Amino acid sequence: MSETTIKDQVQQLIDENEVLLFMKGTPEMPRCGFSMRVVQVLEAMDVEYGAVDVLPALEPLREATGEISDWRTFPQLYVNGELLGGADIVQEMYESGELAKALGVEQPAGDPGQQGGGPETGGGEGGEPQPFTSPPLQIENQP
Amino acid sequence: MVADLSEIQAMIESALPGAEVEVSDQTGSGDHLLATVTAPQFEGLSRIDQHRLVKRAVRERMDDGTIHALTLMTSPPGAPGAAR
Repeated sequence: MSETTIKDQVQQLIDENEVLLFMKGTPEMPRCGFSMRVVQVLEAMDVEYGAVDVLPALEPLREATGEISDWRTFPQLYVNGELLGGADIVQEMYESGELAKALGVEQPAGDPGQQGGGPETGGGEGGEPQPFTSPPLQIENQP
Repeated sequence: MVADLSEIQAMIESALPGAEVEVSDQTGSGDHLLATVTAPQFEGLSRIDQHRLVKRAVRERMDDGTIHALTLMTSPPGAPGAAR
């Protein structure tokens, strides 16, 4: 019963957000290195995106995304309703320029391999953290 | 929980007969694994579908928490990325 509801919610989020990231933690405070990598890539691409913290309802969300997209691990990045992949695929697509194409933006200048430090290391000029363009979305576990 | 690397390797090999599979422990903690899989079944599949096949093979160990994270490098035999 509650799984159906969560699945509907997930489908709705996927439909309504052009770029949607299911992640562990929030963009401000990722709780997993793989989720953090995808956040860093999206920040580098300078796109608006919605983020869903999966930790409050991990198992139901695993089931829901398993049914919707045949993918049960997080992070998951959706663009225009399609699952692009998890951290490995997103990283590869970023480096190859495919991600920029999928997002309809310019490939950011600079070596994409050098993004690992993230904004919080602030090593030098231009290290200011960028404000997040979209508030984290919440999925509530069913009471 | 520490994953049994040879078990994980065997699960992938039995799901993808003929595949070359290498599984390693990325962090020493036994639950962040890296699997390099070269399989004829990947021919013509997108990366995401290649990953789906591998993840389906080890789903039981991911669901029970034995594997926390599985980094995948997949390619069909003879592909440019195969020898990475």
